Amino acid sequence: MILRTVWRQWRWPVALAVLTVFGLLTALVGEGGVWWVMSWIALAIPLLVIAWATAK
Amino acid sequence: MTPRAVRNWSRIHRWSSLICTIFALLLCLTGLPLIFHEELGPNPKLDDVSADGPSASIEAMVRRAMAERPGHVVPYLFFDRDKPIVKVPTAPTMTTDPASFHYQVFDTRTGKALETTQPNEGFMYIMLRLHADLFAGVKGTLFLGGMGLVLVVAIISGVVLYGPFTRRLDFGTVRRGGSRQRTWLDLHNLLGIVTLAWFGVVAFTGVINTLAAPIELAWQANQLVEMASQAPPSAAAKEKRASIDIVLREVRTAVPGMNVTTVAFPGTPFSTDSHVAVFLTGNTPITSRILKPALADASTGQVVAVRDMPWYATTLFMSQPLHFGDYGGLPLKVIWALLDIATIIVLCSGLYLWWAKLRFWRSEDEVVQRQPATSDLIAIDK
Repeated sequence: MILRTVWRQWRWPVALAVLTVFGLLTALVGEGGVWWVMSWIALAIPLLVIAWATAK
Repeated sequence: MTPRAVRNWSRIHRWSSLICTIFALLLCLTGLPLIFHEELGPNPKLDDVSADGPSASIEAMVRRAMAERPGHVVPYLFFDRDKPIVKVPTAPTMTTDPASFHYQVFDTRTGKALETTQPNEGFMYIMLRLHADLFAGVKGTLFLGGMGLVLVVAIISGVVLYGPFTRRLDFGTVRRGGSRQRTWLDLHNLLGIVTLAWFGVVAFTGVINTLAAPIELAWQANQLVEMASQAPPSAAAKEKRASIDIVLREVRTAVPGMNVTTVAFPGTPFSTDSHVAVFLTGNTPITSRILKPALADASTGQVVAVRDMPWYATTLFMSQPLHFGDYGGLPLKVIWALLDIATIIVLCSGLYLWWAKLRFWRSEDEVVQRQPATSDLIAIDK
């Protein structure tokens, strides 16, 4: 029960934090091109989530 | 979490936020234009010249810069990472505060002096100083570092409180139609948790950046002294000076495949009285951020020591791009700016929620203060 509550409450925050760290490191480690695009997408998703939550 | 624990964490979050919010707001607001410093800062116009041609003499540029400012010296050379330009500062002495430098900029391909505004003047410079040291030098920087640490405490306590405050809500819920405070609380929680990782990384790397001065001092006191002691300079080194073109040629031969980014002439805090220090960077995204110092005999240009920077300096170099957001092209800078705006909203909504709660507590106090009057009335009735 507790695990289910924790999963329900924290899956999105944890997923977004992992995605953010991935985006921050991808552009730093990769050499331009597709790495940069992956970084832009990963870091833009949290912004899209904010837009979705405030618009709904 | 027990109600007592929630109360304690709320106290930590409230007080840590109250202490640092004004400074965090200042840092977020001044940081916003600084994200685009390359686009908004001094940007000299370059001629179209074949990149394969021979480079112009840097020594000639140094002489020209000194001729323009009689009585002044050239303490450093700053090469641009992306463009074929070199900034040549002049100052009354080798140890003058860089804030007072006068800069001349040259095209390294042609040797032509370029028209540019001074990097230590204007709107962007004011933003940079407010962001980096509040115009108070190293003390101001360390103070902002302390505020950054308090901000990290506010972020951690905010994450702890996110659990109990949103337990009954689906992720991303912003309740409308009720009180204004409730809507702003939901927005504060949503924006705070979504930008958590980014804000945490930028705040933490900002704190590391405030340690630049102590890190420089540690490097000067340990590594630079050790490097210089590897090959004591010749007797002539204090009088005779090799051309900087010879020094750069020797360094490029000794450390192939790297780019010169900064030159510190003898007598500056980053060299010795008889050595020129040349700082190089690599070509990959990570190595282009990490400086490698080479020390050359000032009289002959001969390289006497090359070594990697210690771990604490490398930590500082790696924390810089993660704080500045300047390593993934213009789209990354735009995303950085939008995330910055989201954190400004988190900070302002936090202040609003505290103010609304303060007003609520005051109104409760007034009710309590009115109670004796009511009891007086009861006494009169009796």
